[in-house]
Amino acid sequence: MNYGKIAAGLIASAGLVAGAAQAEDLTVWTLNYSSEAQVAALDAAEARFEETHPGVNVDIVKRGTDEHKTALRVAAGSDTGPDVYFMWAGLGLGGEYVKAGLSRDLTDYYAKYGWKDRVSTPSLAFVEAFGPGMNGAPYRFTGEAIYYNKGLYEKAGITEEPKTYDELVAAAKKLKEAGIPAFTFGGTVNWHVMRLMDVLLETTCGVETHDALTGMEADWSTTPCAADAFKELKMWSTDYILAPFMGIDNRQSTNLFLTNRAAMMLEGDWQVNVIKEGAKLEDFAVYPFPTGTDRLYGFAEYLYISTKSKNPDLAAEFLDMFSSTEFQDQIKGAFGALSVNKSVELGDDVPELYKTWKDIFANAKGTFVNGDQAFPLDVTTEYFRIINEVASGNMEPQAAADAMQAFISKRS
Amino acid sequence: MFNSANLHSPRTQALILLAPALGAYTIFAVWPMIEVVILSFQRWNGLTADRAWAGLDNYRYIFTDDPVYWVAFNNTLIWTVMSVIFPPMVGLLLALGLNEKLFARGTMRAIYYLPVIIAPIAVATMWRWMYDPFFGLFNQVMTDFGLQSLIQDWLGDRDVALYSMFVAFTWQNVGFSMVLFLAGLQSVDRSLVEAARIDGASRWQVFRHVTLPALQVTMTIVIVLSTISSLKAFDIVYGMTGGGPAQSTQMLAMWAFTQSMQIFDFGRGSAISVTLLLITLAVVVPYLRWSQKREEAAR
Repeated sequence: MNYGKIAAGLIASAGLVAGAAQAEDLTVWTLNYSSEAQVAALDAAEARFEETHPGVNVDIVKRGTDEHKTALRVAAGSDTGPDVYFMWAGLGLGGEYVKAGLSRDLTDYYAKYGWKDRVSTPSLAFVEAFGPGMNGAPYRFTGEAIYYNKGLYEKAGITEEPKTYDELVAAAKKLKEAGIPAFTFGGTVNWHVMRLMDVLLETTCGVETHDALTGMEADWSTTPCAADAFKELKMWSTDYILAPFMGIDNRQSTNLFLTNRAAMMLEGDWQVNVIKEGAKLEDFAVYPFPTGTDRLYGFAEYLYISTKSKNPDLAAEFLDMFSSTEFQDQIKGAFGALSVNKSVELGDDVPELYKTWKDIFANAKGTFVNGDQAFPLDVTTEYFRIINEVASGNMEPQAAADAMQAFISKRS
Repeated sequence: MFNSANLHSPRTQALILLAPALGAYTIFAVWPMIEVVILSFQRWNGLTADRAWAGLDNYRYIFTDDPVYWVAFNNTLIWTVMSVIFPPMVGLLLALGLNEKLFARGTMRAIYYLPVIIAPIAVATMWRWMYDPFFGLFNQVMTDFGLQSLIQDWLGDRDVALYSMFVAFTWQNVGFSMVLFLAGLQSVDRSLVEAARIDGASRWQVFRHVTLPALQVTMTIVIVLSTISSLKAFDIVYGMTGGGPAQSTQMLAMWAFTQSMQIFDFGRGSAISVTLLLITLAVVVPYLRWSQKREEAAR
């Protein structure tokens, strides 16, 4: 027997084991982004953290939305799972995981790294909403507004961006008279048409009542503005949305918008990149939906540290790096117009649409979130169904408000 | 004491051979089924370890308060009825045609069978594009032929969407029935066919009184398998409409999935699964027993 070879093998194995023991792994679970800029930004985060933390191996796992949610459920019931996970910050999404104890309280890390002073105020809206403590670090805050085709507006004789809801309806009427559908939406993804309902609810109900309705504290059935919002939704669906729209998705809808088939889309600030890839940016402009409340319509996305993480300090360092001015400056524009980091300014070379977005964010007096972020999941599913029924002309506005309240009332 | 002779008995050897498969079946099929039944009496969001006892609450909810359950139930019923009629019927016609001595018969059999081996989700994606109201094949062809009045929002109109999906389902599954019927046709006694023809029977009479009775066993198999596969229809719905518009194409299997994996109410999702299981058993077990009795009586 060759004892020398065995000894050498044992020494080499010991070396490998020791090496493995020194290496630290940090797993981050997030979404499968389709934009190249976003994928590149995540790759950059991985590379930067490994560079500044020798011996640390960062693994960013990207999944589709449903797969991501399911994987988190599986992780919640076991001892495995990510150190850091992405989730939308609303009640039915990130909030549920916080309530279930999957999110670590980050109060100490907020104090240690000064995140509260670093990130923008609207993006912090959900940090303390579902407690205990502070949960999640803002990763992205997005706004949604009306993108319009300048050429089609001009063709219809619309010379100014509508400032009020009535002016918006008047503009839609002019577009229709010119043979141009005002809006395009994709009905197969329920949340796309939902955006229209969300802003209509804000328009007809105002701040307090809208919040009370989405908070399920006001009665949908007896609050007249709820039925009014459904009535407006019916009007838009019947008269001013490019039809048919229930059988297409948001991407098909975007294609129709970019090929001048409809004048407007209600989209987020991320749409600038989409337009850039499919059309000429200078042909489009953006303005907030004139709800009359001046609140910004949008939502936040957070990175949470899992309670299952074996190395929360390292995970916190990753979050700190991600929202740092240096890194956010490196990836600016990838996830939307504005960085969650207040110190990161847009450069002069950014598209005009981003500058408009900056003004929209700056002029907003508060925020309101998308319906699917405001409601628990079961109510969201019913909200989608009712909106689609109204939009398809199969349910009357008051019946829709009644159905919504009936579902909420029956929840255990 | 251990007796090596026992090891060599056919019974023991059969048990040894069956044990791994039985073990796997128990762990991966029987236990999950029991778990689903238990879950249907509990409240669980899939996140916490706590599973509260809910009694019959989940069943009461889906039967009385759930705005979608009965829509899904009706759709599943319609889908099942259509599935045991149309794909087997078309499959039988194709089998009869391709049983004749035709040019390139083998190639045609392969072509008709091809959709069966495509993943349902791929079929759904393909047909969804063909149904696209703006750029899809069907509406384009209708426009080209001046049939604009027939243009539909194939997957967006609640009155049409279920049937549009069913056409895609039939396209994919007709090859399966065809292959089974082709196999069945090979067992038809040629001497009986020839005797009937000598006696002056027409083609229809030969089919009605000789071929069809000989295909009864195949038909039983085709109908039972079609029923089972239609009751658990999921992929094609998920890929084509996701249950929409406004849940109007929702099916029981898909709604059970939605409740469990999207709304994360595993109790209600399991209750829907249990009802689906009971419906499947209620349809399949009596039919199998009836056909078994018929076969026994025929011996």
